[in-house]
Amino acid sequence: MSTTMKIENLQAKIGDKQILKGLNLELEPGKVHAIMGPNGAGKSTLSKAIVGHYDIEILGGDITYKGKSILEMEAEERALEGVFLSFQHPVEIPGVNNAYFLRTALNAKLKHEGKDELNAAEFLREMKKHLEMLGMKSDMISRSLNEGFSGGEKKRNEILQMLILEPEVIILDEIDSGLDIDALRAVSEGINKMKDGKRTFLVITHYSRILDYIEPDYIHVLKDGKVIKTAGPELVPYLEEHGYDGIEED
Amino acid sequence: MTIEETIAKYKEDFDLFPDPNDKLEYIFDLGKKHTTLPEEDKNDNTYVNGCASDAWLVGECKDGLLVLRGEGTSEMAKGMLTLLIDIFGNKTPEDILGFDPAKLQDMGIVELLSPVRQQSLEAFLKMVYGYAHKCKEQGA
Repeated sequence: MSTTMKIENLQAKIGDKQILKGLNLELEPGKVHAIMGPNGAGKSTLSKAIVGHYDIEILGGDITYKGKSILEMEAEERALEGVFLSFQHPVEIPGVNNAYFLRTALNAKLKHEGKDELNAAEFLREMKKHLEMLGMKSDMISRSLNEGFSGGEKKRNEILQMLILEPEVIILDEIDSGLDIDALRAVSEGINKMKDGKRTFLVITHYSRILDYIEPDYIHVLKDGKVIKTAGPELVPYLEEHGYDGIEED
Repeated sequence: MTIEETIAKYKEDFDLFPDPNDKLEYIFDLGKKHTTLPEEDKNDNTYVNGCASDAWLVGECKDGLLVLRGEGTSEMAKGMLTLLIDIFGNKTPEDILGFDPAKLQDMGIVELLSPVRQQSLEAFLKMVYGYAHKCKEQGA
């Protein structure tokens, strides 16, 4: 099996509390991996550990991406290398124009890849195509980042970032929380557009409804800081019926 | 691309920005692709007289086309030079002399320029048309 990212015996804590307790996970290129599990299992901690969030202290284990360890890399270096996280609770940043923010991020990545940066007009043309698909109003790009956005708008804006940055490993932390059906459909459409057989997705969710739209290849059940079971999508209806308590460890 | 087509392309670009300040900022953005001139090309003959900041414009006739190169010192001059060289550069002198500069207003930015900057634009155009005349004479 070829691997895009390998997480081995990962142990991590937030504050004084150890949350990940020897987690193992391999992400295959081009596949959609769904992480499911009860509250407090460590799902969001895992996503933060992968991107290098400052909340997380790694106690042991390793995360390798394209064959090299990323634990010593800063969050922005990991982002430039193609690791993307859509936040469960995107922050509002008053005074930072959304379009400037997105263009700066994109141009930093293009520069890192040795490509030409986009000027404002080229960028707006690119962005407008995505806005239409996501059902976002054009004034959202000229407003401050996430300021006054509804929950659904914030999540659509996260997907807009993903579409623009074209990352290789895409971590979606509860992208479906707080979304109505229309927003869920638009967000799923954006995600499916990025599925090209090469990009890898790690979809963290409590509920199976987004998996009806995104169609995962693997389901990993996370409990008490470890992956206790990995199976195909057939596990989803079982979980719906029996809950996490009904899962036996692999 | 003809002069008119290049102007239409920039009009489309500028129309993307509803806010006049964003249009002007786009001019600054264009200036990021600005090139510089070797020192020997910066002299009294190439100095754009009447420009609000120091700027130089070199015009050379090559294979029947007017090739333009320039350098500006302010952000606005860099942006405007990049824009105008893209519009008028590598065109025949006949194309340039047959073009009515009032059509530049189609881009929707000329009226946003301050009187001083409009004067700079006129100074630049005067040099371009001067180079085009010389180029035409050389070809005749």
